[in-house]
Amino acid sequence: MKKSTFALSLFALGLVVPGARADLTSDMQEGKPAFRAMSQLAFGPEGVLFIADTKTAAITAIATGDTKVASGDAAIKSEAIDEKIAALLGTKSDQIVIEDLAVNPISKRAYLAVSRGKGPDAAAVLVRVKADGQPELVALDNVRFSRAELPDPAADTAAEPGKKQQNRRLEAITDIAYVDGKVLVAGLSNEEFSSSLRAIPFPFKTVARGTSVEIYHGAHGQFETRAPVRTFVPYKVGKEQQILAAYTCTPLVQFALDDLKPGAKVKGKTIAEFGNRNRPLDIIVYQQGGKDFLLMANSARGVIKVATDQIVGASSITAKVADTQGLKFEKIAWDGINQLDLLDARHALVLRGAAGKPQNLETLALP
Amino acid sequence: MGRALAFAFVCLGVASVTVAAPAIRWLIDARPTAVEATGIAPEILRDLALELTPEGWARVLAVFAEQGSADTTPPMAGTWRVGGGSLRFTPQFPLVRGVRYRAELRIEGAVAAISFFQMPADTAAATTVVAQVFPSASVLPENQLKFYVHFSAPMSRGGVYGHVQIRDAAGQPIELPFLELDEELWDLAMTRLTLLIDPGRIKRGVKPLEDIGPVFEAGKNYSLTVDAACTDARGRPLRAAFAKKFSIAAADRTPPDPARWRIRAPAAGTRGPLVVEFDEPMDHALALRMIRVVARERGGVEISGEPTLADEERRWSFTPAQPWTRNHFDLTVERTIEDLAGNNIGKSFDVDLSEKADRRDEPRSVAVGFEVK
Repeated sequence: MKKSTFALSLFALGLVVPGARADLTSDMQEGKPAFRAMSQLAFGPEGVLFIADTKTAAITAIATGDTKVASGDAAIKSEAIDEKIAALLGTKSDQIVIEDLAVNPISKRAYLAVSRGKGPDAAAVLVRVKADGQPELVALDNVRFSRAELPDPAADTAAEPGKKQQNRRLEAITDIAYVDGKVLVAGLSNEEFSSSLRAIPFPFKTVARGTSVEIYHGAHGQFETRAPVRTFVPYKVGKEQQILAAYTCTPLVQFALDDLKPGAKVKGKTIAEFGNRNRPLDIIVYQQGGKDFLLMANSARGVIKVATDQIVGASSITAKVADTQGLKFEKIAWDGINQLDLLDARHALVLRGAAGKPQNLETLALP
Repeated sequence: MGRALAFAFVCLGVASVTVAAPAIRWLIDARPTAVEATGIAPEILRDLALELTPEGWARVLAVFAEQGSADTTPPMAGTWRVGGGSLRFTPQFPLVRGVRYRAELRIEGAVAAISFFQMPADTAAATTVVAQVFPSASVLPENQLKFYVHFSAPMSRGGVYGHVQIRDAAGQPIELPFLELDEELWDLAMTRLTLLIDPGRIKRGVKPLEDIGPVFEAGKNYSLTVDAACTDARGRPLRAAFAKKFSIAAADRTPPDPARWRIRAPAAGTRGPLVVEFDEPMDHALALRMIRVVARERGGVEISGEPTLADEERRWSFTPAQPWTRNHFDLTVERTIEDLAGNNIGKSFDVDLSEKADRRDEPRSVAVGFEVK
């Protein structure tokens, strides 16, 4: 009998990518990037996937090599995707957290950032959905990647001799996006009450610590606030790249990308109030009939659609509002949306399901 | 390996369990845990060893973590190995309690062997408790911004806002008092949860305040409660529910100013504590992190030592690692330190737009000098 042994990894997908364009990935190293958490996902060009790790305060760019243009029907459907992922990871669906969903704009394939476990030892896992709706692990053992660490002003004091006080500060990363050679990162500390939005040039330099700004919005009468950005989307207004940022309870605030300069204090312009008892979950931009629209998923106020031609010349809301004000919006009858991304020009991909019920991945025609 | 057979497993569709018949063993004591298929003819094993696709392996030996409603679920991720006369599957992730695992062994020409395994339930008694809540004062400002809930053991994430409440004097929960974040603001060890009062519910003239009122009103009594169903990292409930009672005083819109703090300098040659008395309670985490002691000589050397807080976060003490020397020192305080209402040095939580406050060119910290004699 042959004595040699063979070891193989199941569902391991080679992600070494000789085909990716040199200018974006030429500075990347090859190997196994380390993750303590995968909190947020965003695709850049050329199949580059940005993964935010809240626990290590870092953004890792990975050349997925998933750069084959989708052909034909890209519709994705997977019922009880949370249970399928739990099965793949050998656990129960109530012991995983689907942190984020991102569609590769080239291949139209869905990627999910998942935590296996809910305690401090939870494992971070990247999952891709196959054509048959089944999840597969994306192997990250040998990929081209680069990493940018967010500036963390708090040194780990526990490491300093004579100091026993443990540093418990973390910065929760609430959203990331790529636009015009920059990775934008919105964050919120678990200690000081501050909201930051950083613009980190990509490809990452050796020390790409980014810049931090404080975002204010003046929705609340005479007083400005430092409320944390919940989700945002880059959007061009005329020739100027703007950021549309949504806050809890639920102002939509506009400011210019160029204003994100080191040390700057940026005051956004509040252009809409979408109502309280609500937190925004995701925003996407799409075109329909030659016009641009925003589609915003919310925790309590469902999905709303906003025509963006109202943004140019929109007046700033500076006074108290009774309920909603500013940009007109249309309520879309999509229930239970927990994650939202653009699948193609005509479809959105959503993760939906009531709390405590199985979560389904569904393709929906853009409204 | 021998102990593995002591674990209960059920073989279905196998005429009789003999050495020659394909059989499944759960190697629970192996590190890492593995599932072994034995009784496979050597020539079949040899052919299997040549099989090079994971899907091919999974067609022979697959382990499933059974789910509630999904019709078809993928087998568990892991690795396969042929050796020692058997085929072994090692899951990529450890087995967990509460899941029934099903192994399927399908050898061409033989009846499929199916075996189940479930780890025993965790019957240990609940031990985790809320150890401490900051601020520890029993009177808080109307614009109180933040609570830190410290647990005695690591906790589990997800749905925590369903277990923490602000209650009025009658015990009725206040509606949506916290800024709820899907991420939940835990520390790395998951023993401390940060709860932010929704800024929209504490600010002047803010819309939600108009609609559903402020969370806190001066002169009233409240409690912060954590119910026992809040689960720790092992999935167990808390040993006991928790409540911190407090009353609410007037709002605090005065920025903290270290110039108003009283510094009691220690004596040279001792390791006696440097004591700083604040004129109001400060944020627990930030007061421990954002205050440093620097010797003025040689360009400002930071002194190593341990800070502690006492007297409801009004008194900061610093014990140096080495005895104090005769010198002039600075207490440096980062401007972003906060009092209980989130006011920073030189800047209240609410910035009046008409005041045109702008901190852009200000240094990151302020310093207050003291001398050790």
